[in-house]
Amino acid sequence: MEGLAPFLQNLSGGLLIGGIYALIGVGLSLIFGVMRVINFAHGEFVMLGMYLAIVLFVQLGLDPYVSLLIAAPAGFLVGMVVQRLVIARLVDIPGDSTLLVTLGLGLVISNVLFLVFGAEPKSIYLPYATRTVMLAGIRLPVAQLIAGGVTLVLITGLWLLLTRTELGRAVRATAQNRLGAELVGIDTPRIHALVFGVGMALAMAAGVILAPLLFAIPTAGASYTLKAFVVTVLGGLGSVPGAIGGGLLLGVVEFMGASYLSSGYRDAYGLFAFLLVLLLRPEGLFGRTVKRV
Amino acid sequence: MPRALEAEGVTVRFGGLVAVNGVSLALDEGAILGLIGPNGAGKSTLFNALTGYVKARGQVSFYGRRVDRLQPYARTRLGMGRTFQIERPFEGLTVLENVLIPAFLRAAGPAEAERVAYAALEQVGLADRALQPSSDLNLARRRRLELAKALAVQPKVLFLDELMAGLNPPALKEMIGFVRSLADSGLAIIMVEHIMEAVTELCEEVIVLAFGEKIAHGTPQVVMNDERVVEAYLGGADE
Amino acid sequence: MTQGPDAPRGAAPAARPPRPSLLASPWPRLALVAAAFAAWYFVFPSALSLGITLMLLAGWATAWDLLGGWTGQASLGHAAFVGLGAYTVGVTAANFDLAPWWAALLAMAAAALLALLWGRLTFGLRGAYFVLSTIAIAEILRLVAINERRLTGGAVGLFIFDLQEPFGLDLFSRHVEFWFSLGYLLLVLVVVALVTRGRLGYQMRAVREDEASAQAAGINPVAVKSWAFVLSAALTALGGCLYGVFLSALQPQPLFELHLSVRIALVAIIGGRGTLFGPLVGAALITLAAELFRTTFAQANLLIYGLLIVLVVLFMPRGIMGELERRVVRRRYAKSARG
Repeated sequence: MEGLAPFLQNLSGGLLIGGIYALIGVGLSLIFGVMRVINFAHGEFVMLGMYLAIVLFVQLGLDPYVSLLIAAPAGFLVGMVVQRLVIARLVDIPGDSTLLVTLGLGLVISNVLFLVFGAEPKSIYLPYATRTVMLAGIRLPVAQLIAGGVTLVLITGLWLLLTRTELGRAVRATAQNRLGAELVGIDTPRIHALVFGVGMALAMAAGVILAPLLFAIPTAGASYTLKAFVVTVLGGLGSVPGAIGGGLLLGVVEFMGASYLSSGYRDAYGLFAFLLVLLLRPEGLFGRTVKRV
Repeated sequence: MPRALEAEGVTVRFGGLVAVNGVSLALDEGAILGLIGPNGAGKSTLFNALTGYVKARGQVSFYGRRVDRLQPYARTRLGMGRTFQIERPFEGLTVLENVLIPAFLRAAGPAEAERVAYAALEQVGLADRALQPSSDLNLARRRRLELAKALAVQPKVLFLDELMAGLNPPALKEMIGFVRSLADSGLAIIMVEHIMEAVTELCEEVIVLAFGEKIAHGTPQVVMNDERVVEAYLGGADE
Repeated sequence: MTQGPDAPRGAAPAARPPRPSLLASPWPRLALVAAAFAAWYFVFPSALSLGITLMLLAGWATAWDLLGGWTGQASLGHAAFVGLGAYTVGVTAANFDLAPWWAALLAMAAAALLALLWGRLTFGLRGAYFVLSTIAIAEILRLVAINERRLTGGAVGLFIFDLQEPFGLDLFSRHVEFWFSLGYLLLVLVVVALVTRGRLGYQMRAVREDEASAQAAGINPVAVKSWAFVLSAALTALGGCLYGVFLSALQPQPLFELHLSVRIALVAIIGGRGTLFGPLVGAALITLAAELFRTTFAQANLLIYGLLIVLVVLFMPRGIMGELERRVVRRRYAKSARG
């Protein structure tokens, strides 16, 4: 395992999977940044996206990349409803009530998936997605390339939404100073609902593009939630660009650790990094988190 | 009278802002020292520095012993009791439990702690509410609970942070009399206070802070006629 | 009738009614718990395994509550201590033929040490950060259990074939395990009852409510949290030892899993954090519900945990026993104010 080519192979693999981690993490981070809510059901929404893609593929023969157009709006709607019905009632209560309620929600989602689809892993077989292309001596799986492309498009879209639109300005104002935002007439409950919706849309979209890559297991949600936490803590809780950096970094760390150290500890490398950052630099590796002014 | 508390050159910085700048003070047993100044002058910060809640430079001695490197709880154990400007009852607990917690500090066991707690509650007139959830108390009673908690650690120096604020005239009069009786029993008291009636009636000595600096020091009458003090209050008023 | 601070004090001490005391005894209710489970043994002889798992879960949750409820530091990593206990019995029996009671002591000591280090590392973190760090540490320990095959048998696991018998009791018998589990549950309840009625217990409550105010009461928050964590971990590991013997086949998957940590925490939270019997009530409720819906939900019984925690957070934020106790406190005060 020496030489440049395997290194580049690992690097590209890490970056591609890291892109998906970033997509999962960015929603969690956005929700925390604006609402101060840690969404423990985040990974379960990823699984919801995966199973939606599988159902649409099996029942209607819909290509998963087409079902993105259904999954993202569905996630947005479900997120809005969950926020309005449950989380809005708890958001001003100090303590861990939102953490517990989202944890419970996650358990409900994963176990309902279990009841509906059973325990055996499900997947989508897309002939074109299993191919690989060679680029400068590096083997790149098509499904991962597409995933990387979709991630890039979605995150760029989110970035433009946040920085270039009036709505984005309102979101950022709410994140920085909720009271101040309310004083200048921003309907912060509506912003909260929108942000939670956007976060869930991103999570379900991530699930859809994972469907051709990985097996879907109802109980896998928790590990995606954990990945999302790692991503956001690496990048700084509440920071959208940080989540991108954190996601890419996590992907690379896992790939490199698995091939150069020990593959059994693949998931542990991210957790070690997570703990180190939490203990030594809780504001994240990339700049500052969104702090109250 | 022995020296209870002595501070020299206490300085607190928050980033680039100097919140307290080289303040010195001394307090004897049985005396009451007032700390006044316009809003934002650094009074509460100085309090927090003396009791260990914010990092500060300078020396703080308690009965001749350096305490400036000690954690807040260690200063409490030596005998520095305090109240908080915004009362902090242990919300989920009853009035009695609130006072039981500090009472345990010097009690041999639960039964003795309960006796100490009841004694403190009786001192402030809350004994008949011992079993009430503390979150149900009104402002004046929360204030008294705060004081009972500080007394239950059986302090030698008592830090009172705006204990009188918001009290109605009869309650204020009662509180002033009570603080006087505490000092008469040998307690050294240092108080941050906005209510001038309380300051002039209780304090032999007053320190005035403005922008983190000590700008005057003396009896209440002398200090209130000091030109710089008047200016500081007027200057602070339009902020 | 506001009695002011400067009202004459001690004027008529003889006329004062007896002061209400907080030191009401929990022992009658504890005896009731013991009697109820003893009755289970004779009434449901075919459901001993269910009783054992219920008592162990209740014991873990009660132990969790020392840290998570009474001290306010919710952990989602307590499965690590269950796993540590189970594996200590398994590994020492297989490799050194160590008697299980020595293994239990060793497991408790190891858990205490782990908790001390773990706390040292993470007590500086607040709120959600602390919770996240507990998940991460427990996950790392799970990965260690999977990967260090020479010690733990890896993902395949480890079997406990043979154990030295205390007083000639066969530890693999469900009958013996039932009484041991009952003993364990009662031990945890007694320890928690004693601790929470004493100095440490009130210090724990103070740290939970407000750390700055606790410091003003002379309390060192880090020391108090460490004690709570050490006790909580050692007691959880002891239950883990029993669970290891009960399972006989140890695998990292169920033992160290996040789901077990979540179950322990949710049982305590649903039953009522910071109450002596709340975790037991939560465990009983969950176990009962899981039995009722066993055929409907099959292995999806965590669904019940999910639904119950959402309902509890929305409608009974203090948990079942917490809300009840709150009501009792209010009523007792009303009575004392009238009387």
